[in-house]
Amino acid sequence: MLLEQLKEAVINGDQDELKVLCGRVLDEKFNPVEAVQNGLIKGIEELGRLWTEGEMFLPDVMMGADVLKLALDILGPELAKAEAAGIKRDVKGRIVIGTVKGDIHDIGKNIVSAMMTAAGYEVHDLGINQDVAAFTEKAEEVGADIIALSALLTTTMPEQKKLVEHLKEKGIKEKYKVIIGGGPTTQDWANEIGADGWSETAGGAIALCDRLTA
Amino acid sequence: MASQVSLRVLSEDGVQQIHDSSLRLLQEVGIEIEYEPALDILRAAGQRVDSGRAYFDPEYVQKMVAQAPEQFTLYARDPKFNVEIGGDNLVFAPGYGAPFVIEKGKRRASNWEDYMNFLKLAHVAQDIDISGGMLVEPNDLDDRTRYLDALYAHIRYSTKCPMGSSYGAEGANDTMGLLSPVFGGRDALKAKPAVITLINTISPLKLDARQTGALVEYAKMNQAVIIASLVMAGSTGPATLAGCMAVQNAEVLAGITLAQTVNPGCPVVYGSASSVTDMHSGSVSIANGEAGLLAAAAAQMAKFYGLPSRSGGGLTDAKTVDGQAGYESAVMLMSPVTAGTNIILHTAGILQYWLCMSFEKFVLDAEIAGILRRFKRGIKIDEDSLAVEVVAKVGPGNHFLNQMHTRKHHKTEFRKPLLSDRQSYEGWVAESLTAEDRASQVCRKLINAYQDPGLDQSLQKELQSYIESRKEELLK
Repeated sequence: MLLEQLKEAVINGDQDELKVLCGRVLDEKFNPVEAVQNGLIKGIEELGRLWTEGEMFLPDVMMGADVLKLALDILGPELAKAEAAGIKRDVKGRIVIGTVKGDIHDIGKNIVSAMMTAAGYEVHDLGINQDVAAFTEKAEEVGADIIALSALLTTTMPEQKKLVEHLKEKGIKEKYKVIIGGGPTTQDWANEIGADGWSETAGGAIALCDRLTA
Repeated sequence: MASQVSLRVLSEDGVQQIHDSSLRLLQEVGIEIEYEPALDILRAAGQRVDSGRAYFDPEYVQKMVAQAPEQFTLYARDPKFNVEIGGDNLVFAPGYGAPFVIEKGKRRASNWEDYMNFLKLAHVAQDIDISGGMLVEPNDLDDRTRYLDALYAHIRYSTKCPMGSSYGAEGANDTMGLLSPVFGGRDALKAKPAVITLINTISPLKLDARQTGALVEYAKMNQAVIIASLVMAGSTGPATLAGCMAVQNAEVLAGITLAQTVNPGCPVVYGSASSVTDMHSGSVSIANGEAGLLAAAAAQMAKFYGLPSRSGGGLTDAKTVDGQAGYESAVMLMSPVTAGTNIILHTAGILQYWLCMSFEKFVLDAEIAGILRRFKRGIKIDEDSLAVEVVAKVGPGNHFLNQMHTRKHHKTEFRKPLLSDRQSYEGWVAESLTAEDRASQVCRKLINAYQDPGLDQSLQKELQSYIESRKEELLK
């Protein structure tokens, strides 16, 4: 019942209800990993499926992703404890995402970030205007599988290239898959800079991540 | 709430001057009417009739026109498809009467299979409100009796309102003969009009026997008629748009005066299909700026008389589903919709100045109709829609994609396209489909989605035996 309610709160994008439910998870000493895995994630997966079918729209998915993020914040300490006790939750993959330095456009990046969350990835969104060091530090910290860079300007695209070079210099390129996106970018550009993938759309980005983490 | 979207192409004074000119034409030049019973009716009502021409008294015309309703309901077999014609309402009707079908740029004679497919499309298409009339000519059926088969198909296979036959008094009476049993008998039909018929004048200043005969019969039975004039400026009317309007207006007022003399208060629609002549070839050109003006002006004249109006359509002179077909049709639909035209015939499917129908074009036009229905709805303004609260909540530089306000309102504020491609280049290039390709796919999907609404077995038998006995008479 509680699991079903958590799922519904995500589908409805209902933050108020979510807070009440998370309170119950904590009060009733409900297994937090169970709450995430069989409640919240089920909700976000359902949204992702309905979006793919055209039954749901971006606001539904993005509000669902926000609810999930909020839940992970509230349940964070308990999840960490569970993890320390050896109860691991299944994550499809860990992604560090952000908009590159000099670029403050983030709508597209936010959409991709929400869709990745909805697709079952653990997403660490750095926000806008991030230099290459910020990406690599976060990736090292969380043990990321994928680093995703958004650039909406031709003048900031070179930052994507810089990140790939930076990873190579540090000798850690092989640890990560680097994917890029943004209006002016292309598959050719991705090939040229040695990125592992490119997509023009959020839906395509998910398919790309699925391929890269398979 | 009345739509605030309102295109006006004539000044109040301009409307008055057109009106005055038309009354002068009606009184001084008169209208030639090739139907003796109509001349008798007008003579009995005190109008001067001489050598087949009726000369109308201006005051009489105005009195008759004033009797016509500003708005009326057209009753469908399924009440959810009832339509309101007049006022601020907008009704889209499919293409009508083309003898050809164009597929991938190739023209051929249309047939019964095409007819049935267009009927299914019209029934299923969300933005097409009535099932229409002679959707395409079924050239493979006997031309003396095909109107019976065509009408039966509408009644049997669609529950939206059909259009009637204008094939003389006989065609009108057969139309009503077939509809009566379905709508509970003649009295019930008379009380609740269930069919609308296109009655065309002959420009300049003429009403022929066939159309007038049908007009009189429908008026007697209180069924709706569109009295429409098609002046081709430069050939069947003056080259000036004002002169063209005056001629059109005189013809339409004559038809309406006749209908209101026959049956005061019967439902009539002020119709216009006027356009210009291509002065090189002499052919009609039905989609251009001039035609757009005439379509909007017709709506304005109708409002001046307090009448429902018909003008415009998904019109084009193009021979295939190309850019010209798209831009001309968009203009010829946008003009009447924004001017407040109430029923738009030929909304979907037309190519080559009404001569051809195209399945792909039907879908393309239905998309334009959907877009324009949204356009006409206008911009809703209230506290919730002004959204100050949510803007304050989101604040500068952030986005609205994760707001409940967005989640709730986008579904009603935005229309979801049926056909338009909004994909990324990556998504589009995978199949590289043009609008015509996609329309072909949507068309198949719509036709496959058609479900037979059914009709009572005994009614089917009754209508079929009516048709059989009529065919025996007509084919004798």
